[in-house]
Amino acid sequence: MIEVLAILFLSPIITSLPIALAWGLEKRPPWADKLAYLSVFGLFLSLVAAIYILLNVGELTAESEPVKYVIPWLPAVNINFVFIFDYLSKIMGTLTAFIAFLIGIYGLEYMKHDYRLGWYWFFFNLFTASMLLTVYSDNMLMLLIGWEGLGIASWGLIGHWFRDDDHLSYVGIIDRKVWKLNMFWSPSSGAWRAISTIRIGDIPMFFAVGAFMVLAGTLNISEIDWVALEHKIGFTGIAILMIAFMMGPFTKSAQLPFSEWLMTAMTGPTTVSALLHSATMVAAGTYLFMRLSWYIEPWHAGEGYEVIYAVVLFLGLASAFYGALVAAGCLERKVLLAASTMSSLGLMFASTAASYWVGKIAILVGFWYLVTHAFAKATLFLVAGHLIHETHDRFCCGNLELAKKLKIAFIATIVATLCLSGIPPLTAYWVKSAMDGVMHSLDEHFGIFPLILLVLTSAVYSAFLAKFLALNFLKGREVEVHAHGGRVMSFAYALMVSMLLVLLYFYTTTHEEPFAEFLHEGFMVSSFAVGLLVLVTYLFALRNPSIKALSRIGMFLSDRMYLPFLNDYIVPKIGWIMATIVDCGNRLIDYICHSAFPKFFEIISYSLRMIQDGRIERYLKIVIGFILVVLVASTTVGW
Amino acid sequence: MADQVIFLISLVTLAIAAAFSYWSARISMILSLAVLIVASLSYFKMLPTLIFLVAFLNVLSLLALKSSQLKGIDYALVSFMLIATLLIFYTSDPAMLLALFVAASAPTYILIMIGERMNIDIGVKYITFMIFGTVLFILGAALLYYNFEHRSSLIYSLAMLSLITGLAIEVGIAPAHEWVPDVFSTADPVPVSIIASLAKFVPFLVAYKVISATAVSETQQLLFLIAIIAALSMFVGNIGALTTKDPARTLGYSTVANMGYVLATFAAINAGEYVYFAIAGGILQLFVNAFGKIGFFNSIKEGTSSTCSWLLSASFIGIPPLMGFWSKFLIIYSLVFSNYLWLAILLVLNSAISVPYYVRLARITGKGWKPNITNYVVLVASLLMLITLIPPTWIVESVMQLRW
Repeated sequence: MIEVLAILFLSPIITSLPIALAWGLEKRPPWADKLAYLSVFGLFLSLVAAIYILLNVGELTAESEPVKYVIPWLPAVNINFVFIFDYLSKIMGTLTAFIAFLIGIYGLEYMKHDYRLGWYWFFFNLFTASMLLTVYSDNMLMLLIGWEGLGIASWGLIGHWFRDDDHLSYVGIIDRKVWKLNMFWSPSSGAWRAISTIRIGDIPMFFAVGAFMVLAGTLNISEIDWVALEHKIGFTGIAILMIAFMMGPFTKSAQLPFSEWLMTAMTGPTTVSALLHSATMVAAGTYLFMRLSWYIEPWHAGEGYEVIYAVVLFLGLASAFYGALVAAGCLERKVLLAASTMSSLGLMFASTAASYWVGKIAILVGFWYLVTHAFAKATLFLVAGHLIHETHDRFCCGNLELAKKLKIAFIATIVATLCLSGIPPLTAYWVKSAMDGVMHSLDEHFGIFPLILLVLTSAVYSAFLAKFLALNFLKGREVEVHAHGGRVMSFAYALMVSMLLVLLYFYTTTHEEPFAEFLHEGFMVSSFAVGLLVLVTYLFALRNPSIKALSRIGMFLSDRMYLPFLNDYIVPKIGWIMATIVDCGNRLIDYICHSAFPKFFEIISYSLRMIQDGRIERYLKIVIGFILVVLVASTTVGW
Repeated sequence: MADQVIFLISLVTLAIAAAFSYWSARISMILSLAVLIVASLSYFKMLPTLIFLVAFLNVLSLLALKSSQLKGIDYALVSFMLIATLLIFYTSDPAMLLALFVAASAPTYILIMIGERMNIDIGVKYITFMIFGTVLFILGAALLYYNFEHRSSLIYSLAMLSLITGLAIEVGIAPAHEWVPDVFSTADPVPVSIIASLAKFVPFLVAYKVISATAVSETQQLLFLIAIIAALSMFVGNIGALTTKDPARTLGYSTVANMGYVLATFAAINAGEYVYFAIAGGILQLFVNAFGKIGFFNSIKEGTSSTCSWLLSASFIGIPPLMGFWSKFLIIYSLVFSNYLWLAILLVLNSAISVPYYVRLARITGKGWKPNITNYVVLVASLLMLITLIPPTWIVESVMQLRW
């Protein structure tokens, strides 16, 4: 087993070291860029290991007992490397390794002429390995290693083009200003926004992990007695603790109001966006919440957890709706997709959170939506990358001419958008139907509000996907195409999109849970009605991808409803206020240590030395005075 | 009996040495050193050997004094002080103790005045203080012995405090310290180094002996007063030294502070078995002060290598494992266990306050090594700070074996 784990986690990192080192050499060898193939081979090995685990370790059903593998680390304090192989981790791990491998292949062509391949491949593979570690961890401390690896690798990759010299890598309209703030972001600022936002969430999460250790005596998610924990620290205690912990997933999965970093993360290479948005990083947050819920079994838990799950439910729905609206207003290819990812992540959170009231099926719905979304979103990003390569334009553009030249991209986009938007009877329709059912079950607790939000989100979602298709291949402005070959890239996204059809096959032909439930929900009239609504908005947007009359609203939406002001104005202001306070404290300490204290001692010292005027008469007076005082004192004491 | 014979022979030899000095200072020096060695060999123990080393360094540093008015006699005087000091360890007879107190103190009256020119002014100032000190000390000691026979709490407290006041004036404890900065900065560094080193042992040793021999039970309030005087002396010494530019004057204030540390041990004099730690700490602090002052005063005269000066400063500050650390450690240890925690804390605080001026001293005096006798004296004095690399349990053991 340990050999398989070593291959799974270490082979991507080890195989990326040669190119990283070769690139760092003073005189770069001519074959250095060929080492990229070695890195991709490492990803392939990782995929083989993941598939081996999927097929050979334990059973693959939602009800099966998890298999664990323990490597001692700090046994004295009950902290060990605990790898867990259950339904979630086995599928998620395979998904991550597969998507990373395909994107790796795509990257061989896409990044061919880049100036920093050593940096790119090292962080790309580290990104994958970190995600895999996060996925298979049962121990939270070990999970944090993967979690932090994701953070550092995302920083390295988003800021990959750190010279900020290529406008094609920016986000926003260059030189556009709203009030005092720039509404465009360079790669280096994008990297900084990502890492700084994530840290805000990570710090409360670290404290929460420490608290788990103290309160529960173990950090293994599957072994903590979550119900007893609630009894131990009470309603408020568990609410505070879990919210602190969830700050990590909220920021990593870009939920409101921490979504800004995800939009400007588009300054990185498109391959990075594709990986970051499908199976790593942002998925890590939702995946962690699913894993936690899988073992908390909130449907058995007390009221303390209800608060948390309600918060996550509505935060997720709000983020989903916000993301969909923003995407609907966006004209930038990758930013549109980024906003749509945020929307999808919100749905995953919301669905998983509903498990408190609905049961395990809600987690499974969220999870399979994650899988469906991963393939579709990776496809769309890879297509977007190819388009940017061909058109040298970040904004949506292109018409049928372009579609004819890039047939595979065109077809892949059609399939991916249709399959993701939830049009019956395509892939996402079945998951979305189940999600409709889950939200409908919340009726007695929250009314029809969650369901309405979900349906609205789905309608807008499908509209902007159609808009993406129309503005890039059908009705966009005409562009000059720079033919680049692109066979490898086309192969990668064609394979990726075909996975959606494989999934469709599974959904409709397997009679195991949860697919049976998906089918059952899919054949209900209400689900079909929602499906029709989605189809209508899809067709409408396909026909009218941009409506002139609504351009002001579109601008408001594509400016992300001015949420950047939070990141770029309010938060820095708070930072400056804190810095000013710290500065005052600093000055006070400086003043006390460097001026007040020395001055105080100086004054006393000079007064003490004033006595020494050299005249013996004075000295004798003092000594005799001292003797008299002592005499009085001794008489008083002795009396 | 043998002790007395050796004492007598030593005295005669020293008298001869002093007489020969009219003819040749060198003969006097050789004879004085011979007495030193014989005397310390006859009492071969760790404590006496260290005191011998103090005296030995004193004599060697006198060699560097080119035109002393008392060339020759000065060696004999130092040797005489050593013999008086050594004898303290072996007697508990009240009359003998007081005689030795005077015997060890008197040579300093003469020594303080020698130098490039006879320094009468400073001699007068010094001797005036010494007379006050000696009278009060002897008065207090005599009354303590009297009280031991005829108990009276009034007499006891009068006696105790006049002994301490006498001690304070004699060694320069605040607020009776006024002579110290003046004398230290005006007189020649070499005789000052003797007054600041060898001459400090006898008053404290006699005081320890007298007080422990005549102790009665109700002394808490008196000890508290002593503790206050000790604390005052630490603060006056250390804070006074902070702004002093002249190194000799700085060392004067440093002496005031160090005497405060030693006086603090008297607060623990009634603390059962911890009294041995207190006395051991006090004596070790006297050694730190003695070697440190010999080192610094000699380097004021001739300079020294920066390694030596930093070693001396570090020891004064109390950095482990130097001697200055262990002395303060023992004092603090005994204070903590005799319920004088506040005094222990003040002592630590004072060590911190003293850091700037010891660093300054190390910088000023470490001007560079010159191969002459004064520099070798400094070298030996600073190396002796390292003898506590092995934790000095021996000092506590030697103190326990002595009769107090």
